[in-house]
Amino acid sequence: MSATAESVQDRKAALKGLGTSRKRVEDARFTQGKGNYVDDIKLPGMLFGDFVRSQHAHARVKSIDTSKAMELPGVVAVLTAADLEPLNLHWMPTLAGDKQMVLADGKVLFQGQEVAFVVAEDRYIAADAVDLVKVDYEELPVLVDPFKAELSDAPILREDIKDETEGAHGARRHPNHIFTWEQGDQAATEAIMKEAPVVAEEMVYYHRTHPCPMETCGSVASMDKVNGKLTLWGTFQAPHVVRTVASLLSGIAEHNIRVVSPDIGGGFGNKVGVYPGYVCSIVASIVTGVPVKWVEDRMENLSATAFARDYHMNGKIAATEDGKILGLWCHTTADHGAFDACADPTKYPAGFMNICTGSYDIPTAYLAVDGIYTNKAPGGVAYRCSFRVTEAAYFIERMIEVLAIKLNMDAAELRAKNFIRKEQFPYQSALGWEYDSGDYHTAWNKALEAVDYKGLRAEQAQQVNDFKAGKTRKLMGIGLCHFTEIVGAGPVKNCDILGMGMFDSCEIRIHPTGSALARLGTISQGQGHATTFAQILATEIGISADEITIEEGDTDTAPYGLGTYGSRSTPVAGAATAMAGRKIRAKAQMIAAYLLEVHDNDIEWEVDRFVVKGAPERFKTMKEIAFASYNQAIPGVEPGLEAVSYYDPPNMTYPFGAYICVMDIDVDTGVSDVRKFYALDDCGTRINPMIIEGQVHGGLTEALAIAMGQEIAYDELGNVKTGTLMDFFIPTSWETPNYQTDFTETPSPHHPIGAKGVGESPNVGGVPAFSNAINDAFRAFGLTHTNMPHDHWRVWKTANDLGLHG
Amino acid sequence: MVLEEEVQIPLDRQTVFNALNDPEILKQSIPGCEELNLIAENQMEALVVVKFGPMKASFNSEVGLDPSEGPERFKLSGKGDAGVAGFANGSADVRLDENEEGTLLAYTVNIDISGKLAQVGGRLIEGTSKRLAKKFFANFEEALLARQA
Repeated sequence: MSATAESVQDRKAALKGLGTSRKRVEDARFTQGKGNYVDDIKLPGMLFGDFVRSQHAHARVKSIDTSKAMELPGVVAVLTAADLEPLNLHWMPTLAGDKQMVLADGKVLFQGQEVAFVVAEDRYIAADAVDLVKVDYEELPVLVDPFKAELSDAPILREDIKDETEGAHGARRHPNHIFTWEQGDQAATEAIMKEAPVVAEEMVYYHRTHPCPMETCGSVASMDKVNGKLTLWGTFQAPHVVRTVASLLSGIAEHNIRVVSPDIGGGFGNKVGVYPGYVCSIVASIVTGVPVKWVEDRMENLSATAFARDYHMNGKIAATEDGKILGLWCHTTADHGAFDACADPTKYPAGFMNICTGSYDIPTAYLAVDGIYTNKAPGGVAYRCSFRVTEAAYFIERMIEVLAIKLNMDAAELRAKNFIRKEQFPYQSALGWEYDSGDYHTAWNKALEAVDYKGLRAEQAQQVNDFKAGKTRKLMGIGLCHFTEIVGAGPVKNCDILGMGMFDSCEIRIHPTGSALARLGTISQGQGHATTFAQILATEIGISADEITIEEGDTDTAPYGLGTYGSRSTPVAGAATAMAGRKIRAKAQMIAAYLLEVHDNDIEWEVDRFVVKGAPERFKTMKEIAFASYNQAIPGVEPGLEAVSYYDPPNMTYPFGAYICVMDIDVDTGVSDVRKFYALDDCGTRINPMIIEGQVHGGLTEALAIAMGQEIAYDELGNVKTGTLMDFFIPTSWETPNYQTDFTETPSPHHPIGAKGVGESPNVGGVPAFSNAINDAFRAFGLTHTNMPHDHWRVWKTANDLGLHG
Repeated sequence: MVLEEEVQIPLDRQTVFNALNDPEILKQSIPGCEELNLIAENQMEALVVVKFGPMKASFNSEVGLDPSEGPERFKLSGKGDAGVAGFANGSADVRLDENEEGTLLAYTVNIDISGKLAQVGGRLIEGTSKRLAKKFFANFEEALLARQA
């Protein structure tokens, strides 16, 4: 290749690297219906599995009669716990160190629990056969309120471990108690709460909800009895971990298991865990010798696979009279359902709830979390968040508002007064984290100016006066939120899942003609990895993103990684990608120096080529180097151009943001209308602004859903009252407001490209912004706090309780 | 869920009370009742088909009658199992007051529905139950008057 007239800028643009709003390469197939999801997999002779599920929340299983189901033509097998027991697969370990029944072993502990697995020639026969399985139950008293779990008349749920006083996370004080997790300085914090001039207290409940991905969970297991190899396709956010767990559970050697995550239609944490359906499809395939598919329906997804949140957070926050925060105290009662199946790093049974000091310089803090068993579905996954960061952010952002009311102070001013200052980073928090970087005041001021905060407050005050004078029946709420996330789990020294360190990986092959293939240990569920990781690499190795294929999700080909959740892909696998790219470049430099007949140190990298220092007309492009690496012998250098990097992050990353929501509320109907939503995100280096904006829009819409109506509600009998999309709120374009996005850019100092991750920020920061708007609207009428979800009825009820309906 | 309602029947109290204990009349009165058999004194088994919106459930039910406070009062309790569709537990307390037009029946029904029915039909259960209770007494009156005729 000869020298061209292209400028450095042109060559840079041609790479479509970092900072480019490159169109998503995945969308060509998604928009044409050519995606390949689990349910699209069709194999010869494939059978279908379906579950008989418990209708009871708590009952003893006295007998299971499968004879009528087996008589139905087309039914091949009906598995019960008795069939799995000889294989020791009737229970399975959870990610949280507990164990969970695969199929009901003597009793059921939540409505929707898996009782038997019917295998039939098609899914319709399987569904018919489910109705023919006769289960004889003896009903037991139901426990749905975690605050009643340790009363003397409480039923004991987990009889299997009722005498065990030690759990996976330390002492258990009651058979229905799972763990107590404590962080910070209890004595010092409680002393401050006694002595401080001002202490505000509130019980903040972040209700139970569900990630509800568009595609439900499913798997296809195919055991090849000839070569002994099990192939498992499934909706897995962490395919490599699934392979290891499948090997440990089944006894099949890990090299004989291939796990494939094909296209995934949204995960949001719902697809991190291991579900009984996966295990049953594997066993059924081993038993029948043919492939077996299991795909759950929407009701099964909502009522049995992993829920999120359900944290009762009792808080105290202490301050001086002029609003300097002195301490934070929090006791959380965590409703985990029937089995502790939270997906958290092993050493963090309450995830990163200890990020609950938020964006504030709080010198002293104490957090205790008690995990409790109830007759509800297991889970507690990070629904578009990093391990309980949503709960933590909601808690502190509500406590700040509650404190502002107590101080009779403006909540924006109170935040600014207590932010960690730019020069304090890296900042050591009272609950044990080292925040990497931030510039909160700049972001906050930019946000306040963008929405004309002072003007909004003046308008609000006028509206309150008009309301009191009978001139309007509407109120206006201003929802403020400044959140700090903690993502990118994580450093192997303190983050592991089932003992596997939470590193991630990338393997790059440069082809002879200078295009490339990169494989990662993560798996996209809609985040656009094939687009953005190619951009990271394009900037690192000087090959256009359009000429780089990204592959993930097949454990036979991809390097081992811990998967995609907790906004960890960019912080961890993105870093691995950059580091692998740098290894490529280091080798390319040696080759280029040889080709240019100069010393390695006499050339320098420039966008897509190595150039001889001081002689810009003498260079070798990465494409030329790639070709040379395959077609000529270079002394001292192996042929080919490949690299692998396993990246163990030195720290988490701490994205942050300033969100402001303006809400108009009809006091008489409880209907609320988002007038404006301004979202400023600082996710460090921005890889693809268009994808960031898409992520922010999606995450804010999920936050809207959670704050304004989405809920997994149970009645006192343990019935799931919101098990269909009739009752479980998913916003459509009708309910979704316009969003105004903005950014500041504070790179992470320890990440190779300074990126922090963004996918989950809008869910983490959005929920408090929406909820604070509702709460703020009624502040002038004496409201301190009202719990989510703020559906029309609850908002109406709040107004009614405040006497606003005359 | 608790349902409370009153219904006037133009017959004397003893007749109405006796009818409440009569399996044949009950079978005609219970909406969707396909089978009803007396299995012991004051013990009945019934198969009742109920539609909750899009869902149809066949309840295998056991019902116990308590006529001990008759004819002023009549109580029953029972449970129904609709397999994968769910199950129901309930009781009814009926007070019978004689008046000039015949007998005023005032009933309080307690009913809990669980399982898939409660999940899918949660918002339909109360309306459906009220409708069924009304229908029961309408059918009851009709069956009783038909027998008297």
